[in-house]
Amino acid sequence: MELIQRQTSLSANIVAFCRFLRQKGYTIGPQEEADALQALEVLAPFESPESLQLCLKATLARTLPQQMLFDELYRQYWRELEKAVNSKVKEGAAEKKQAGKQPTPKVQSIKNWLQGNQSRETEEMATYSTHEVIGRKDFSAFGSDGLWEVARLIHRIARSLALRQSRRRKRTNRPLQLDLRRTLRLNMRRGGEILDLAYYEPARNKQQIVLLCDVSKSMDLYSRFLIQFVYAFQNAYRRIETFVFSTSLYRVTSQLRQRDFGIALNGLADAVPGWSGGTKIGASFQEFCRSHGGKLLNKRTIVIIMSDGWDTGNAEELSESMRFIRSKAAKVIWLNPLAGSAGFEPTTLGLQAAMPFIDVFASAHNAESLRDLYRHLR
Amino acid sequence: MIQNEGLERIQKMLREQGYITEPSIVMSVFLAMELRKPLLIEGPAGVGKTEIAKVMATALQTILIRLQCYEGLDATHALYEWNYQQQLLHLKMAEDTGRTLEEKERDIFSEKFLLKRPLLQAITHHKAPVLLIDEIDRADEEFESFLLEVLSDWQISIPEIGTIRATHIPQVIVTSNRVRELSEALRRRCLYLWIEYPDFEKELNIVRNKVPGIDQRLAEQVCHFMQEVRKMRLEKVPGIAETLDWAMALSALHISYLDKELVESTLGIILKDWQDIRQAQDSLSELFEKVGAISKLDDF
Repeated sequence: MELIQRQTSLSANIVAFCRFLRQKGYTIGPQEEADALQALEVLAPFESPESLQLCLKATLARTLPQQMLFDELYRQYWRELEKAVNSKVKEGAAEKKQAGKQPTPKVQSIKNWLQGNQSRETEEMATYSTHEVIGRKDFSAFGSDGLWEVARLIHRIARSLALRQSRRRKRTNRPLQLDLRRTLRLNMRRGGEILDLAYYEPARNKQQIVLLCDVSKSMDLYSRFLIQFVYAFQNAYRRIETFVFSTSLYRVTSQLRQRDFGIALNGLADAVPGWSGGTKIGASFQEFCRSHGGKLLNKRTIVIIMSDGWDTGNAEELSESMRFIRSKAAKVIWLNPLAGSAGFEPTTLGLQAAMPFIDVFASAHNAESLRDLYRHLR
Repeated sequence: MIQNEGLERIQKMLREQGYITEPSIVMSVFLAMELRKPLLIEGPAGVGKTEIAKVMATALQTILIRLQCYEGLDATHALYEWNYQQQLLHLKMAEDTGRTLEEKERDIFSEKFLLKRPLLQAITHHKAPVLLIDEIDRADEEFESFLLEVLSDWQISIPEIGTIRATHIPQVIVTSNRVRELSEALRRRCLYLWIEYPDFEKELNIVRNKVPGIDQRLAEQVCHFMQEVRKMRLEKVPGIAETLDWAMALSALHISYLDKELVESTLGIILKDWQDIRQAQDSLSELFEKVGAISKLDDF
């Protein structure tokens, strides 16, 4: 019953409110509580309820979703508190008679509510954050709105890929960090008289990415998303080579390197005659190894294959080429849009053949899984 | 609606500097100043995040020290660096003076040869400055953790000199465009403020304030138009700066109302991406219908 007692002092109420927010998923520690109380102190004397709300919002909500959610939670909290107090007053007489019994269902439900109803809360959070909603949505049921969000997400992944610094150094002419070793070496011929300065900067890790994308009939549901994915990826990250395959392999890097998505799509349609056809993964991969493998595959290359593994070709060919790719590349990631559905097992013949040579086997059916992909690329 | 002395003071201070504001901004700025905490401001580009820091510096009559973040920003550009060239020259000149090695060493590692970068500048300035750390999301995560260290200890150690403690703790404003998620640790250290694109009333207020000579009807039309344009799915959504540029341009041309041709020929002021421009041109009549319908209503 302590929870629904009306707190008489403001500060005690604030602490209770903080507890309430914490149950709603806010990251509020002693530091935040102290901030809020301190803020109230500097604001005193209080004359308007609005400034209390604004003040708590400024001190307790620390991300955008939290800010968006705050006003609603704030109202809820005080409303429910009021209700709880009223009900307590009304039931007071009756309660005395049944002293020692369980709390009445009504009070219990309020108590639950104040302690945060887990299932409802997650739902509420989700509706406020677009990321969350898209996170769980399957790409096969996707409108253009979702694709826009996904493109944003990919852009982020690509940026952090491109930004990654290596521990190595690179010489530079810009006066950044003084490279002592090279400076001394450079000036040796002048008898140690230091005239020229040499500098270094951190080198960038240049990870090459090869995308192999299945556009056969069985992938039709997802191909709209896949193309968007590939296009967005390529636009955001330069060191990427893209191939699509159904019965044979096509290099589409240059077609996709277009500012305009419409032009890119047209170029793609012209370049790939076997769209939505059958699948010969093995033969396509063999061709990839033969004509591009030597040039593109090295220990800095991440190979991402996007396919459901439905193969009408030769499984032997597939495992052979996968072995080759695995031995040359740094990492092989297989993204399967079907892997997200419940009860999925990689039983297709093609997948069985390829499985031993895959480092990461992941689903690619929603934005949530894309975020996982980001972790694998690190 | 705000009836607090401190808040009123801040609001007045912001208004005097020509910054049109809303209660949530006033509250955050007030609390950041009172609690001496960094203020993290997020929001889309062009809503006046950086402007807050500038206005604060002017109002507090102190200097603004700005650290613009970018990809690959590292400690040498944020903290300090030795002026190598000058050190070498100094050694060269001191060669025949017969000074001992210790003396020379003391000479070249003195403050004279220290290039102070923004963070060091901020903590050694004689009066607490406003330190603006702009677009922190552009810098990499390593830099963010490094910044955390400085923001919590307020001291910087230089191996050759020793530890330099802050003489005054600066008022810190951190801005971010949400290109990447910031770490939880940084968020928890700061107060948070989200600034959205202004609504019609606020934008109109800003336009009137910054472009004093503007025709009343034109100002309203411009603001309505911008509100509608922002609803479109654009690569680069225009901010307040674009609205002001446009309003100023139109006002300089002594125009008193918008028409289609005019908009078409001046679209380049508010949209900076050719795809956006094309998209806006395609839906110009539609846009105009909305804007026109609203201003017709105003005539009644």
